[in-house]
Parts: sequence; C-alpha cells; structure tokens
Amino acid sequence: MNITFPSLIALLLFPGGLFLLGSGLFFEYLDRKLVARFQNRIGPRWFQPLADFIKLLAKEEVIPAGTIKSLFILLPIFALAAALTAALSVPLFGFKPVFSYNGDLIVTLYLLSMMTLCIGLAGANTEDRFSIVGATRALTQLFSYEAPFLLAMLGPAIALGTWNISLINQGATQQSLWFIVSQPIGFLAALIGLMGKLELPPFDAPEAETEIVAGALTEYSGRGFGLFKIGRDIELVVGLTLIASFYLGGFSTPLDFLWKVFVLLLITAALQSLFARLRIDQTVGLWWRIGAILVLCQLVLIIVGNTLSPFIAPLLGG
Amino acid sequence: MEAKQKSEKFIVPIGPQHPALKEPGHFEFTVDGEIVTNATARLGFVHRGMEKGVEDRNWTQGLYLMERVCGICSHVHAMAYALGVEKLANIQAPPRAQAIRELVAELERIHSHLLWLGVAAHEGGFDTLFMFSWRDRETVMDLLETITGNRVNYSANVLGGVKIDINDAQKDALRRGMDFLEERTKHYLKVVTEDETFLGRTRKIGVMTFEEATLLGAIGPTGRASGVQRDVRVDSPYAGYPDFPVNIVTSDAGDLEARFVVRIKELYESYRLVREIVDHLPGGDLTVKVPRRIPEGEVISRVEAPRGELFYFMKSNGTDKPERIKVRTPSLCNWGSVLTTAIGHKLADMPMILAGIDPCFSCNDRLVMINGKKTETQVWDWEDLRQYGIEYYK
Amino acid sequence: MDTQELLQQALEIVKEWTIEVSQPEENRRDIYIEARDIKPAVKALLIDNHWGYLSAITGLDSPDYQIDEETKERKIDPDKGKLEVLYHFCNRAAIATLRVRLPYTDAEIDSICEMLPSASFYEREAMELIGVNFRNTPITDHLILPENWPAGVYPLRKTFKGLEKKTQG
Repeated sequence: MNITFPSLIALLLFPGGLFLLGSGLFFEYLDRKLVARFQNRIGPRWFQPLADFIKLLAKEEVIPAGTIKSLFILLPIFALAAALTAALSVPLFGFKPVFSYNGDLIVTLYLLSMMTLCIGLAGANTEDRFSIVGATRALTQLFSYEAPFLLAMLGPAIALGTWNISLINQGATQQSLWFIVSQPIGFLAALIGLMGKLELPPFDAPEAETEIVAGALTEYSGRGFGLFKIGRDIELVVGLTLIASFYLGGFSTPLDFLWKVFVLLLITAALQSLFARLRIDQTVGLWWRIGAILVLCQLVLIIVGNTLSPFIAPLLGG
Repeated sequence: MEAKQKSEKFIVPIGPQHPALKEPGHFEFTVDGEIVTNATARLGFVHRGMEKGVEDRNWTQGLYLMERVCGICSHVHAMAYALGVEKLANIQAPPRAQAIRELVAELERIHSHLLWLGVAAHEGGFDTLFMFSWRDRETVMDLLETITGNRVNYSANVLGGVKIDINDAQKDALRRGMDFLEERTKHYLKVVTEDETFLGRTRKIGVMTFEEATLLGAIGPTGRASGVQRDVRVDSPYAGYPDFPVNIVTSDAGDLEARFVVRIKELYESYRLVREIVDHLPGGDLTVKVPRRIPEGEVISRVEAPRGELFYFMKSNGTDKPERIKVRTPSLCNWGSVLTTAIGHKLADMPMILAGIDPCFSCNDRLVMINGKKTETQVWDWEDLRQYGIEYYK
Repeated sequence: MDTQELLQQALEIVKEWTIEVSQPEENRRDIYIEARDIKPAVKALLIDNHWGYLSAITGLDSPDYQIDEETKERKIDPDKGKLEVLYHFCNRAAIATLRVRLPYTDAEIDSICEMLPSASFYEREAMELIGVNFRNTPITDHLILPENWPAGVYPLRKTFKGLEKKTQG
C-alpha cells in the first residue's frame, strides 16, 4: 500500500510514534496472553501492559549511589530512541516505510542492537552485583547471537540483490516461493536470534530472576525501567515485522501484515513455553557451534546459487 | 595483602529476600566469573522458638504447635509427635487410625513432591512445567480438603489416634484422583528424562557421590538419588507402614536428574499405597484414650517426611507438659551436602542445586524476635504479640 | 542383621569408653561416655566401622531444682545443674546414642566437624540455643539467632524466660 504520510505525522503519530508505542504494548499483551494460555494460566487483561507502563512512569525513580547519574538517566531514553528510529525504515503495518534508502537494512539491524548495548552499559554503570553479572551475560549473549542473526537477515537481501528493506519486501512479495521454504535455516536463526535479542525464555539468562533478580536492570525503577520495557516491546514489533516481510513473502496490505506477524508471535510464544532456560554457556555454545555454522553454510549456498543461476535457469527451462 | 584480596572477592548474595527463594534464607556465593568458589548459609529468619514454646504448653497443645513447624509437611510433624507421645504413654493407636495416618502422610508426600517439581522447574526457568505441576497439585490439595477439611494444616492427628474417618464417597474420590495424577506423572517423568534443554540443566549437575552422601549425612530423596538406602518407612516402619509396606526408590547417578527421577518414582509408590489403603482400610475405632499426664521417659520418634528423615527427641518429666522436645528436620541434614556440592558449579546452576534438596526454611527455624519500627530491637512475648494483633485489626 | 545385633555391635565398638549403658526403648541404647572421649568414640563408630550415620545432636538442660519450703516454688541453682549432649546414631531401626554430661561451669566438648563436616549445623544449633561450647568447631557465626542477640543468653536453658523488655516508646 503506497500511501505516504507527511513526515511529522509519520514520526509522531502514525505509523511511527504514538501508534508504534501502542502496538508495542499490544504485542506485549498478546505475547504474555499466549504464553499464559500455553501454560494453562489465564493471563493478563488487554490493558495490563499499558497500566504497568503508566504505573512505572508515576513511580519514584531511585538513582543508586555510585552510578554516573547522567548515564543512568540517558541510557533508557537512548535505548527507546534507537528502537523508535529502527522502526522508520521498516514497512510497519504494510505501509511504505517513512525513510527508505539503500543499505537501511544494516542501519536498522544495528539500531536494534543498541537496546542490548544500552542494557549492558546500564548494568555496568551500577555497583550492584546482580546488575554486573546481568550486564556481562547480556553482552556475552549479544556476541553469540548477533553474527548469526545478521547473516540470517542478509540471506534474502543477497538473494534479491538489494540491501534496502522496502525493496526486499517488494521483492519478497513477487517471489513464487517464500524465503521460509527456500531458506529455512535463515528463518529459524532469525526468529531464535530475535528471541535472544529480546531476552525471551529460554534465552533469558541475562535476567534470570531466580539467579540474578532482574539482571542488568535490577537497579532501575520507575521511568527508566518503563522506558526500557517499552523499548523492548517496540523491538519486538520491529523485529517480527522484519522477519515476516523477509521470510513470509512480504506484505503490501495491513491485513497481510497482521496475520503473518501474529503467526510469528504464536510461534515465539510456543517456543518460550516449551523450553527450560539455557545457561549462558549453553546459549553461546548453541549459537557458535550450531547456529553460526549452519547460517554460514546457507549463505554460501545462496551466493553460489546466485552466481550459477544464469547458467542453470536455461537448463531448467526457465 | 591478604585482607585486600579478601575484599576483592566477588560475592553474590542470594536472600534473605530473593526471587529464587520462596522463604527467607541467606546464602553467599563467592564467584569467579560464573564459577562458584565458596558458599555459606545463614538461617534463622523465620525462627519462632517452637522448641522453647512447646515446653510451656501441655501435651495436647503441643500437638497443634508442632503441626505448625512446617507449612508443607505439617502432617508428618504432628504424626511424629503423636507417635512419640503414644510411645511415652505406652499405648497404641488403633489400626484404622494408623492406616489413616499413613494415608494422609502419603497424600502429603504427593502434594509436597508435586510442589517441589514445580519449584525446581521454575528455578531452571521452565515455567510451563511449573504451572502444569502446580495445577495438578490442586487435585491432591482438594482431596486433602475433602478428607480433613483443610488444605494445609490438616490436623488429622489427635493424641491416641486420628479425628477423621474415610467414607465410601471419599474413597471413590481418592481412587479417581490417583488415576488422574498417575497419568499426569507419567508425562512428567517423560519430560524430565527426555526434554533436551531440561536435561542440559540437570544431567551431571550437582553430582553427589555415594561416599559424599554418606559422609555428609544426606537423607531422604536427596540421599536416595545418590544410592543411599535410607528410608525410615522401610528401615523402621511406623504408623500403618508395617501393614502397608513401601518399596524404596533409589538411583545411583547422584545428579539433579536423579533427584527428579527418584521423587517422581516415589510419587508412583505413593499412588499405589493410597489405593491399597483405600481398598483394605482396617475397621475399628479411631482413637484410644491418652492420659493427661505422660509418664516420665525419653523417646525418639522418627518418621519419613517428604524431604527425608524427621527426628523427634522427646523427654517427659511426668507432668502434663513436655520437658524437652528436640526437632531435627530433614532440610538441616541436607544443607551440608548442598553447600559442598555447590562449589565448582556455575552460578546459573545454584538455584537448581539449592532447590534440588527441596529446602524448607520454616522447618529449620523455630523464636520470635521482632524488629520494631525504631532501630532499637524490641522483644515481645506471646501476650504482647497477641495484644498487638488485636489492636492492629480492631 | 536385626536391630538387636546391630545394637550389640555398636556397644562392642565403643566399649572402651563406656561408663554405663541404658535401654530406654527396645531399639535404642544410651551409652554414657566422658566428654574427652567423644572424638575417639565417634571416630570408631562412624569412620572406622561405618556404623550408621549421625542423625542429630540434641542438647538437654537438666538443672538442679531446689524447692523452696515456704512458697513451694521450684528454683534453679545456677551452678549445680548439668547440660547433656546426645549424639544420635541411626542404623536402620537401631539407634545408639552417645551421651555426654557436662557441668554448667565447664560446658565444653570437642567438635567432631573435622571427621564429619556436616555436624557443623548441629553443633552451631546446640551452641546457640543451649550454650555448649564446641572446641575447634569451624564456624561460630550465628546460625539461627539474630546477630545482636546478647552473648551468654541461651534460649533453651530452663532459666531462660525471655529477654528483658525494653520500655516501649
């Protein structure tokens, strides 16, 4: 759907800004509700994430002694800003992205990593032991999933020969075969990588409550914690949109967008409730011993296939 | 220099208030990166002075106090106490009462093991198993409520017998409940022995060899998972156990997985026992009369709580009040083992290793000491506390 | 091996330190020994012969009561009473208890932690609650009582009737 919004509206109201915040909260609700239903619980009501957010904003923010004050206050804002910026180049809700340029895929992926970096810094900034252990784990996890995740997202880009997200989206809609079929490893790596990025179970070692309370964010309360939380919700929306547009055949209408993203959300919720938490060394092992190698192999195959296709295509009668 | 090194140690405190612990206890783990190099414990946050308190109560009141030592295994405490008093008074509760005591004890074991399964799974970040096992635990809680009228402190015992009887409708409910739970338990056994991610957290983790277990005095399912053949129900049968014997469940692996497997297999044993008791419940009276004054003497009453051997040393001075009641709860025995096995493991494994022995803090701690609103420590006696309670809720 | 044989075996093992033996119950033997013999006796029983396991350590307070002729009140003589420490060893149904009597004035006994590290918890509990001093026990921090608990006050002694109340403000 090629509607272009005036920049200011796109930034502040729709599809970015306020609407994005709202949908982030709605996605969090869906995720929590689905996981709860999988676990035979009732789960939250639809406005629970919003209520949580408002409550957190209203709460006193305690700045612990021994931290760099400005950093402590700025990091959550920075994290949220990065997540919001990342949304700008993504075809949210099937609309044309607000800013689209060649190579925006790489910029978006790095903006998505900003959140983890901010969380790591936030943890290292405080003197709390749980935070420091949590920060170490968050950054360790970042190093383990980041490369496979990036490679997985590059798969469709290389196959289509463009690093522009909206062009990839368009390209994906025109493919006869969805990339989930032609590049299944990439799809899995991307989806699981996103779960690692968002520290969802079973990759929630950086905030394993039974060991290190809330991990890097243990010292955060009130506004800062709320901003981190909503930033993560927005990452969930952006990440799912990216994966759906790349691997599930792209989308051009909001309806298309909705069902594809919800299917993905259903899968992540199921994965979240299926497994026991992985220890941090198990996470790293999983990604580097299996994930990275498989994704790399697939990438090599794609490149080989791309180079050879001009020669093979006539043979197949294409 | 040495002092400096000491201060540079990186200590991760777990507790007294910590999401991993449902009850207050304090542990300090010295870590090097993620590896634990030392572990210490501090208990007593819920010490309520019960051993002292029982000396000021008569024998009957003592029963109700001791039942409240622990919220999970309340029946075994009351049973150990009642059996001890009966031994002191040299009387025997009737067979029907003994069988009902065993029945409730086994139901309690089912409830405790299912509760533990959930908590341990939660410590490992496997919340789905946690939610499912706690949902199924409701079945046995409802059964206990049907039989005794209470979900937690069943208060089934009186000195000289029990105060509840089992009728036919309750027998049917028990049979149905056991069938349902057996089906579910098969599923859980499959999950803990086949689920790859879960095995990654339990297999070869927290291994305690047979030699260590023997030396450290590990008891109950923790010890039996290391191949220690100790079960009071088998070694020295009490209550209904001579008539309805149990088979001991052990494993030689000694790791966390073995502790899961042993406890789950004990559940099967409990289901079998409950069915058997329900089918062959002896007839007769429920109680015999117990004198108010208990003759002088000392007895030891041992029963197998869900967590292991529960040890009561009771001394009577011939009056209507006990001279001394010493309670040694199973968790206390197993602390030593857990702190020793912890060293060398990853911090991430600590909650599961801690949970692996099924610790029960209330069991260990029995004095009331209340920190007032001011910094000064106030000591309130029972009367003050009661007055405070009355004032507070006026 | 049945219970009586097991008990007989235990009696044989600690024979050289035994002062007297009593049989409070069918499956139990109480073996009285001197305080200085506790370490060799425990070593012989548990380490050399692997007889059962240490199930618990009980501290008992047996004060010397004096009955006031006029008021008929029982009073406790603070110097004359004695403490008792009971080491309960269980082997199947058999329970052998090593009993040590200690006078109030010299309530000291050797720690057995070097042979049996897990005894630490029992010793700490007895140390805090009944006031038996275990020589060379590795950890002497409070296990159960609060850190600010006054020294020399042992709640399980019969003389203990509660701490003095501070005036409530």
